[in-house]
Amino acid sequence: MSEFWNPYLPLAPGRRRALGIGAVVAVLLLWSLLAGSGLVSPVRLPAPWDVLSAFSYLAWHEGESMLFIATLWSVGRLAVAGVLVILIGIPIGITMGAAPKLNAVLSPLIDPFRSAPVVALLPILVMWLGIGEEMKVAFLFIGAVVYLIPMVRDAIQAVPQSYWIGARDLGATPWECITKAVVPMAMPRIADAVIVAFSVMWTYITVAEYVNARVGLGQLIQNARRFSAWDQVFAGIIVIIALALVTYQGMNWAKRRLYPWETQQ
Amino acid sequence: MSATSSPAAVSIAIKDIVQEYPAPSGGVTRVVDGISLNFERPGINMLLGPSGCGKSTILHMLGGVRPMGTKTPTSGSILIDGVECHGAHDDSVMVFQRYANRPDLTVFENVAFPFRLKLWREKIAEKEWRQRVAEMLKAVGLADKQQLRPAQLSGGQNQRVALARALVLRPRILLMDEPFGALDAQTREEMQRLLIDLYKAAPCLVVFVTHDVTEALMLGDRVIVLSTQPARIADDFTIDAPRPRSTEWQRSAEAIRFEERILSQLHKSSAGKGAVRVTI
Ligand SMILES: Nc1ncnc2c1ncn2[C@@H]1O[C@H](COP(=O)(O)OP(=O)(O)O)[C@@H](O)[C@H]1O
Ligand SMILES: [Mg+2]
Repeated sequence: MSEFWNPYLPLAPGRRRALGIGAVVAVLLLWSLLAGSGLVSPVRLPAPWDVLSAFSYLAWHEGESMLFIATLWSVGRLAVAGVLVILIGIPIGITMGAAPKLNAVLSPLIDPFRSAPVVALLPILVMWLGIGEEMKVAFLFIGAVVYLIPMVRDAIQAVPQSYWIGARDLGATPWECITKAVVPMAMPRIADAVIVAFSVMWTYITVAEYVNARVGLGQLIQNARRFSAWDQVFAGIIVIIALALVTYQGMNWAKRRLYPWETQQ
Repeated sequence: MSATSSPAAVSIAIKDIVQEYPAPSGGVTRVVDGISLNFERPGINMLLGPSGCGKSTILHMLGGVRPMGTKTPTSGSILIDGVECHGAHDDSVMVFQRYANRPDLTVFENVAFPFRLKLWREKIAEKEWRQRVAEMLKAVGLADKQQLRPAQLSGGQNQRVALARALVLRPRILLMDEPFGALDAQTREEMQRLLIDLYKAAPCLVVFVTHDVTEALMLGDRVIVLSTQPARIADDFTIDAPRPRSTEWQRSAEAIRFEERILSQLHKSSAGKGAVRVTI
């Protein structure tokens, strides 16, 4: 217990995993207990086994996997929005970080949206873009890009000035200082911004698919809710959480592979 | 490293430079107060003064790099070969105390970094710079470490990388800002020896900033002592003793006379305003 309060104590990976799995199992047990004992009515809280059977129903029923198709659509929308976020957001963030004047112009237009109710924009997007795919992708894009741009800008500004001066002294043009010295040093934090952007998009996917989606995980959840199929609602939410987690872990793994030097220095 | 490249002669004329910074209390603080100096031939010139006296400010002016948005110099001019210098120029290369080695690049890539820039790519063909980098890595004793990253090197080895990156360009002017200041005593001596060897192989005009009296005496052909707040020239003398200078020389009457001369000058001009270091 003497080592309990020590933020620097390395935990063996096996031990960390055991504790994590233990926590999940504990929650499952508590959940089973609450639902199984009849303490909470199944209308309010479907039992884990009901959620599991709903999951298997969604995953395979009458030669068709509703869940798989819904996942493909949601992942597709997220991927398209994600590519746009990266292609548009990163260059804007970099130029804002690199040129204080551009930052002064653009930051009052972008930064407030971080705390704006992006969900409230949905009706406006519907008005502008209709109820098709464009609207859904645009919503995901806006929701994520307002987080990504300030993070990329901050990543650029966090690079120590010495790298800029060093490159300048070696004869780099100001533009070369940015592209050849500052941006490479900011890449790990830019990667963090991308990871956050994808997490944000997963949280918004149900909202994006709220209006007129014929297929998608958000639509699947909404449909189930309409028929009070709470076991299916739970199954859908768990699938989204799992996908978000896989995205996060995968991207983090890729980031560590790409920028191994970040943790060394 | 070969001695084939003849020392490209270069001169620096500093004319009455003044540097003022905005003071926290409003108004301005004069940091450098009308310094004039001439450097006319290859040699190791030591700029010695207490911490915070304005040495880095002067060196940045010589390199033409402005760390902040301030105008440098406030007044006065710096001429290189008679041409007034505004902004960065490719005659000089700087080596800083905080080596700006890139953690994401290998030792080789760090030394070869200048050749990623248009300026040097246009001047020097790839075949030639690759050869130069290889020679330079050998000269600083890092030939077997070229695939490592800075985090895998010691402080002294990192400073070797920084030195190699500067010298691979064969600059006519080498500006060093307390390059060995953060190293332990033994490593610092090793690096001083290395610098002397590299200098002998390819002499250039070195302006070396330090607050270490011993370092100034061990390395300098010429020692310029600066007073502090504001910086003025308190003393300026040459040392003829051949390099490398032994510890015996360090204890000789000549060296002790120099040391006392420096300390008494600093005492007179800036008593109680910042410290110099004397390593024994
Ligand atoms: N950009 C700046 N703005 C305001 N004051 C500065 C700036 N740069 C340096 N100074 C001040 O000028 C003085 C000299 O600094 P510097 O040249 O770094 O000294 P040294 O290299 O001799 O230690 C210090 O008192 C420092 O605080
Ligand atoms: Mg300094």
